[in-house]
Formats: sequence, C-alpha cells, structure tokens
Amino acid sequence: MSGYDLLARSLAACGREGLTGELRVSGVPGGTFHLRNGLVIAVETPGAPGPEALLLRSGRVTGEQWAALVREAGGKRWPVTGLIAHGYTGAAQLRVVCAMALQDAVFAVIAGRIDGCESGPAGLEPPAPVPVGESSVRLLEEASRKLAALATLPYPVHPDRERPLPVLGFEGPLTELRRDVIAHADGRRTARDLAFRTGRGVYTVTVELARMLAEGLLTCPPRPAPIPVRTPPEGVRHRTPPLPAPPPPEPPGPADLPRRRPGGFFRLRNGTTR
Amino acid sequence: MDHEALALEMRGLREQVTGITDTAVAAADGLLIAADTADSIDPEGLAALAAAGLGLARRTAQATARGALRQTVTYGSHGCAAFYAVGDTALMIVLGDEGMDVDRLHLATQPALDRIGSILMSRTAEGV
Repeated sequence: MSGYDLLARSLAACGREGLTGELRVSGVPGGTFHLRNGLVIAVETPGAPGPEALLLRSGRVTGEQWAALVREAGGKRWPVTGLIAHGYTGAAQLRVVCAMALQDAVFAVIAGRIDGCESGPAGLEPPAPVPVGESSVRLLEEASRKLAALATLPYPVHPDRERPLPVLGFEGPLTELRRDVIAHADGRRTARDLAFRTGRGVYTVTVELARMLAEGLLTCPPRPAPIPVRTPPEGVRHRTPPLPAPPPPEPPGPADLPRRRPGGFFRLRNGTTR
Repeated sequence: MDHEALALEMRGLREQVTGITDTAVAAADGLLIAADTADSIDPEGLAALAAAGLGLARRTAQATARGALRQTVTYGSHGCAAFYAVGDTALMIVLGDEGMDVDRLHLATQPALDRIGSILMSRTAEGV
C-alpha cells in the first residue's frame, strides 16, 4: 500500500468514527492532522508554513506584537481575538489564511514520504483551526490535483528537492513573488525553505520555482557547494585533560633468595673479624 | 580528521530533518572547524557564541543540580538555534526555521553527535 493510500484510509477511518483527536503521520516531512467530529480542522507539518509563520514572515505582525498577543490571550497558541481586535488582520482575511494554510499543509504531507499513520486523542490545542472542518476526501483530492499539475510542468520541481540559484544578468519586470524568490534563492534553499522565508504557500512557491527554472531565471547547480572544513592548529583536544595513569605496581621481589646484609661481602672474602 | 566524512554528516543531518537551515561544528573553545551556513551568517562569531552559551548552560545545570547538560535551544519568532556538546572536545550548531520539529531534531542529532565526535578525534595517516 502506498503512503498516500495509507493516509487516505486512515483519514477515512477517522471520519467514520467521528474522531475528535489527532492523526500523526510519520515520514518526511510528516505532520499531524487535527480532527473534530471526523473533520479536519488543522494540519501541522514542517513542510509548509502555518498561519502563524505566514503572518509573521509577511510582516503583518512583528515577533514582539505576536508575543504580546499570546500573553494577552493567556498563553493560547493562536491569539485570534487579539489579531482581529488590534487590526492586524480582518476576520474574513484570517479565515482565508487559515483555510489556505490547511490545504497547503496537506499538499506538503502528500508530496513527501509517508511511513505510517497513528490516531490518538487530542494533545495540545490545534493551532489556527478553521471554524468549519473540512472533509479529508476533499482535502486529499485537492492536494493530489496540485501534485499532478506540478508534474505536468516543463521543469517539474519537488518542494524538498531543488535548491536553485538565480541566473545573473536578467533585467526585466518581475512580480513581487519572483523578486522575493530571486532575493532568497541561494543554492541552499528548497521551495519549501523559500516558502517559509518569504511567508508564502509552499505550493505557490514550488510552481513559481518550476516556471522560473523553465524560463531560465533560475538554475540548479549540479552539486552543492563544498563545506569548508579545517583542522584546528593544535588539533581537537579534550577540554579536561585525562587523569594521569597510575604508577606501575612495584615488581614483587624474589621470595626465596637470601637478603644481603651490609658488610656481608667483606665477611665472605676475609672471614669474620674477631 | 576525515574532512569529507564530517561534511557528509553535516549535510546528511540537514537533509534528514526538514527545516534545518544551517549547521556548523567548532572546537569546545569556539574555534570554527566546519560551517554549512548561508552567507548571511558569520560562522566564526556563531561558533564563539555557541561555546559561550554552552559553557553558561553547563554551569547553570551544575549550579541547579539539573544533571548532565544535553543541549541549549534559543527560540525566536523566525526559528531556533540549537547548540549541542560533542563530548568534551567540540560542539555542534544547528539553526532551523519556524517549521523545524525540534523534538525530531534532538532525536536525529544524538547518533550524529557520536559519529562526529569519532571523526573529530580520529587521525589520518598524515596526522591531521
């Protein structure tokens, strides 16, 4: 059974049971599906930026403002009331951000490797849940459609594979997304890394990377840059010097030989003095 | 020291854990040995900070009877910086973005630390 089939069956089982809890997906990038009454309300994955990262990286909220919102909300992971009350985002806009992040996370999970799925009770409160849960069937269909669309592009890109560099010398109009990609593509970052860096969806960035590679705006170096390594002048040494070795034990003396006494040799040669 | 083996360990860790952005290895005194870092990072300065940070954390663990130091992690709104001691000879630095699963990082790092420690202490035929 493929990883995708395993996930689809596990989510379908959660839906039938009306699970309120979590489905943990092991693999790379893997992730956690949060469910309420069998419907998916949030997905956390290292493979795609969640709503918090999208808001922070896009500059809509600063790190300090976010920390203040979390304190104000009594330590909640997702300070939705404060975000709207302070005017950082509108309620409708926030719902759109959460819904798009949810779909993007599902795309990232199925684009990667799925090793196993395990359902369990709810752990921590889910971050940025959508108000009305989504059917897992619809979410998986949408993610599969995106994956298939990506494969048909002239230069198919995987979110975690290509690490492109900009091609120097291009002068022409660029969209804001393309400018951001060119500014941050350094031969080390994948589409997933660039999505986090620029605060955009991983699918959006992956598609744009594929187009820019096909158009010659980006190129993939044949091999990664070598990692410079140098040996310290005095070598790598222990911080604490090892304890000195204990002195070797005294060799035991012969037990059955006579002990010499001072003057013994003189008495043997010359006889005992009287 | 086998330079190629050390570079492979560092690159392998970055590929194994989603979200790692940079790695570096330094001697325990903060002298940089290897850096797989973006141009925006000053690896020499980072190595010195890691040595100082681990030293402070080790003394804090001793002063508060918290046992042997495992690692230090600095969390920011755009990711985290983890410092690990490689035995008592060296240290490893891992930087990750906000998507990195820190628990998974700790699990993946432990076997890598042992191997990196062996690589650093091994001597080649030339004695380097």
